[in-house]
Amino acid sequence: MSVVESNSDFQPTVLAFCCHWCTYSGADLAGLNRMNYPANIRLLRVPCSGRVNPQYVLTAFNKGCDGVLVCGCHPGDCHYVSGNYFAKRRMMAFKRLLEYTGLEPERFQIRWISGSEAGKFRDVVTQVCEEIRALGPLKHSASFEAFAEQGALGTVNALTPANKAEEVVEND
Amino acid sequence: MTDTAPSITREQTARVQTARVQTTRVHTALFAEVTQKLRLRAKELLESGEVVSVIGWEAGRFENQTTPAFITDANKVDRLIFNEYCANTLGKYVLSEKLDGKVAVCVRGCESRGINRMISDNQLKRSEVYLLGLPCPGMVESPEVSHASEPSHAPEASSKLLSKCAFCTHRQPVVFDEYLGTCEATDETLGGLIPKPIDPSERFSDVEELEALSLDERNAYFEKLYNNCIRCYACREVCPCCTCRECFVDQARAGWQGKQNNLEENRFYNLTRVFHIGDRCVECGECERVCPMELPLMKINRKMVKDLTTLFSVPEAGLDSETISPLNTYDVADLEEYL
Repeated sequence: MSVVESNSDFQPTVLAFCCHWCTYSGADLAGLNRMNYPANIRLLRVPCSGRVNPQYVLTAFNKGCDGVLVCGCHPGDCHYVSGNYFAKRRMMAFKRLLEYTGLEPERFQIRWISGSEAGKFRDVVTQVCEEIRALGPLKHSASFEAFAEQGALGTVNALTPANKAEEVVEND
Repeated sequence: MTDTAPSITREQTARVQTARVQTTRVHTALFAEVTQKLRLRAKELLESGEVVSVIGWEAGRFENQTTPAFITDANKVDRLIFNEYCANTLGKYVLSEKLDGKVAVCVRGCESRGINRMISDNQLKRSEVYLLGLPCPGMVESPEVSHASEPSHAPEASSKLLSKCAFCTHRQPVVFDEYLGTCEATDETLGGLIPKPIDPSERFSDVEELEALSLDERNAYFEKLYNNCIRCYACREVCPCCTCRECFVDQARAGWQGKQNNLEENRFYNLTRVFHIGDRCVECGECERVCPMELPLMKINRKMVKDLTTLFSVPEAGLDSETISPLNTYDVADLEEYL
């Protein structure tokens, strides 16, 4: 598998949860067809997209992944009849929650890829990896400190009820 | 990081802040009448042996403060009080008290919805509790405890409504065995005493204010929240949705939650907590009230409630004990955005 050439030096780590019954076979087919896609993707096989606990996603980010992709069967094709429908509701809510609390939408994506869609697998993986490469590494440090340096923490402090903890001092 | 100034102006922020602060009159006559009825019924229930304990409120250590009371002796019902400082939501205490027998508990809107929550989560049977419905004009914040020599006894003309009560949509209990109020149990204005509670569609106003911020600002806002969290788990302890026998944070062997108190672990805890309860949250706001760091936890909870409400058009949680929570079911006609 060759790495798709990129202008950026940054090599993101992207974790893909792949359903055993569809996307994992799709990845297999992509390999059999000698398709090229970025080696930044790490596949993690799960029995169903419904097996993907949102805590896995948070753990992946905490352990150093720059992006997470959850792949499952197309609606109606679930091996366990309804697992992907539950996953869909769960992920729709969870993705919105993560974006609300400040995660870039590109870093957490969900796609339906069937066992025969090797081309789609390659395209999705390439697209996701390039999007995250463009974003750069996931920032783990507290960005409010950077805000304080800019003197822009007023908004954030104003919206937060009086904190008993020491306020981050704003450089005016 | 953006180089531009934050898009939300200080005036806007100030407007949001003042919108949250609502004042209320103190309804002395109502509280006195309800307290009398409550003591009378508690005495009868305990004497007849119908219940083994009554859960209500009693005077706290300070003048403007109450604490939950667990009355098992019919001679001690006079300890029970109901006033504008009954901030604690009592519903969850039923789970430990019911081990000794049937429990009577005072329910306002928030408690009754918590009781419904626990019934639909199979934590409680309706027959295990006797619900004394109380009318609630909204509770007010205790004035700062002053260490001055002479405490003021003059009742204040108006006081600041608790933030959880300002966002309340159901002041009256939605389920009860008997109602101890002075008006119809469905009259949300308590017979004209208080203005109508906010419309359920308006309760997401502060979530919408945050959504309007830029991604970086939201990130800074929530990182500040996580950074101030001390992970005391008080929010979990009071939550009527958090009834797992073993919480994920206590599963040390599984290692879900690390022991360190840092931004990553605090984010993991806060987001997981919200996700575990968000589809069932009855919006009692008790998590936010008990938070010793005064973190705006309902702003995360309500975001998830808002999304699920708009995406899957679910009703408010806890209004009955039959509705299946939106993440426990699915519809093949759900919106498709991942093809």
